[in-house]
Amino acid sequence: MKFTVYQESRQGGRGNNEDRTAYSYTRDALLLVIADGMGGHHHGEIAAQIAVQTLVNSFQREAKPLLPDPFLFLQRAINHGHRAIIDYTGQKQLAESPRTTIVACVVQDGIAYWAHAGDSRLFLLRGGRVMAQTRDHSRIRLLLEEGMISEAQAAHHPDRNKIYSCLGGTTAPEIEYSRKTPLEHGDVLLLATDGLWGVTSGDLMAVALKGANLLQAVPMLMAQAEVKGGPHGDNLSVVAIRWEESPEAGESSISTQTMALHEVATQMEEFGRTPAYKGELSDDEIEKAIEEIRSAIEKYNPRKQGQ
Amino acid sequence: MAQQANHPLPDGHRLEEYTIERQLSLGGFSIVYLADDPAGHQVAIKEYLPNSLALRAAGELRPNITEEHLGAFRYGMKCFFEEGRALARLSHPNVVRVLNFFRANDTVYMVMEYEKGRTLQEHILKHRDKVSERFIRGLFTRMLNGLREVHAHKLLHLDLKPSNIYLRSNNSPVLIDFGAARQTLVQDQPMLKPMYTPGYASPEHYGERRDLGPWSDIYSVGASMYACIAGKAPPAADERQKEECYLPAVERWQGRYSEHLLQIIDWCLHLDHLQRPQSVFALQKALVEQVPPAVQPIAEEDGWLGRLVGIFRNQNK
Repeated sequence: MKFTVYQESRQGGRGNNEDRTAYSYTRDALLLVIADGMGGHHHGEIAAQIAVQTLVNSFQREAKPLLPDPFLFLQRAINHGHRAIIDYTGQKQLAESPRTTIVACVVQDGIAYWAHAGDSRLFLLRGGRVMAQTRDHSRIRLLLEEGMISEAQAAHHPDRNKIYSCLGGTTAPEIEYSRKTPLEHGDVLLLATDGLWGVTSGDLMAVALKGANLLQAVPMLMAQAEVKGGPHGDNLSVVAIRWEESPEAGESSISTQTMALHEVATQMEEFGRTPAYKGELSDDEIEKAIEEIRSAIEKYNPRKQGQ
Repeated sequence: MAQQANHPLPDGHRLEEYTIERQLSLGGFSIVYLADDPAGHQVAIKEYLPNSLALRAAGELRPNITEEHLGAFRYGMKCFFEEGRALARLSHPNVVRVLNFFRANDTVYMVMEYEKGRTLQEHILKHRDKVSERFIRGLFTRMLNGLREVHAHKLLHLDLKPSNIYLRSNNSPVLIDFGAARQTLVQDQPMLKPMYTPGYASPEHYGERRDLGPWSDIYSVGASMYACIAGKAPPAADERQKEECYLPAVERWQGRYSEHLLQIIDWCLHLDHLQRPQSVFALQKALVEQVPPAVQPIAEEDGWLGRLVGIFRNQNK
């Protein structure tokens, strides 16, 4: 398996970040997850964290190195996440259970399987176009589909954030599954919370990421989205991979070929460490950023090289 | 809140391998110096120093950053890096070039090329009422080459105005100050406000900012062309939205400039962003599409020009 992966979560203009992202892979299987804790409810970030962690833990247990049945895995793990949130509510005797959206995607044998509840989205981008995307479990989407309102009205509708399926609610989540979708070389799978897709569009992202290095293009998309989100913008998060089947894939890509059978690699933010400034820099990060800019100057500045 | 100004580094100060000659400008987020590099070439050095978060006293090198502001200071630094990253990748004769980037005095510095010249703002003030149509068309067509490159890198400038368009001594324009392009903010951090300049900022710059796009920079281009003629910016977009007080350029300067150029200005300054040129290319195309007969004022030429303008209008519907 070969792919490039990039994930990032930004606080936007909000007081805290209730989005969570993670990815995990074995030699033959890959899991991508994104969750958006719900702002109207207390502890939204706890719900999101529990959901993401449950999926990752299940994946680490069951992918050896393949999952026997990806859809069954998604169904069980998402429901398990829902119950874990309810359990947490009971243990902590919270008045109301925290809630979260979820989108999770498994890739194995070159086939993508995804499932979601709520309005965080998965986009499959191919050749600069959106090949597939999840349908939000929101009232707005229903109104749109019934032709009651226009796209333009939907963008500013007061109910645009109301969803009817989530984890942690009083009823079990309504989980929607994709088809088995074979991936082609160069395909991008992009999971995003509404802080990102709400200020840009799938089409724009498809164009922006066409042929681009995700490690450069996705942060730029995020930076632009954060600016567009403005001073009160929502949290925005992304997990994206580019699927690479050809042997001459880029240097930044991950090859799982040499991984041991039982080995699992995971990238997930630890719980409870939400700094007041998501963007706060350590001294090391400052040095790294400067180094990066200097090498970009060297690379792109013909005159400087000539000197 | 009254804000104190930051004290610049002293003239003659050695900063890494550069020697500071003098301060060029002082903004809310940074100070720009003119300096000499070791080879004796002049460069511009921008020092990250938001005066609401970091204050440097006279005679000091390091700014005083309180514990309370350190988080926001570092956050803003990240934005400064984004500006540096964006500019480092852009290599275009009409976009300012970044030459170096380094850390000193508890803050960071960006070194940029410097050439003798003046800003379009200075040019306008010096040549009040004498800015020719030829000059406007020529200048903006070339400046837009740079802006196209910026947009091609999925960046927006977001603070285009005559004082951010620099003219080399041969009049070739350079886009400078991409400070707003990286402006990202935190709700609880009123210290780092979004930057825009009333009159040059589009309606999308205000409020939710979700509709920002190339068309927003294009509004600012229109406002800058307007300023070339009027000597000042058009009325601010937020005021215009409350009550339209913009007198269309076509009416205001009828006869002094070609109707075609005046229409382009009005087109760019449309309050509805969907009614403006949607890309720099579309605007450039219009600017070079039809070069009007030399300089003489165009009087009553409803004949052929009217027809051409009619064609132009229809094309853009």
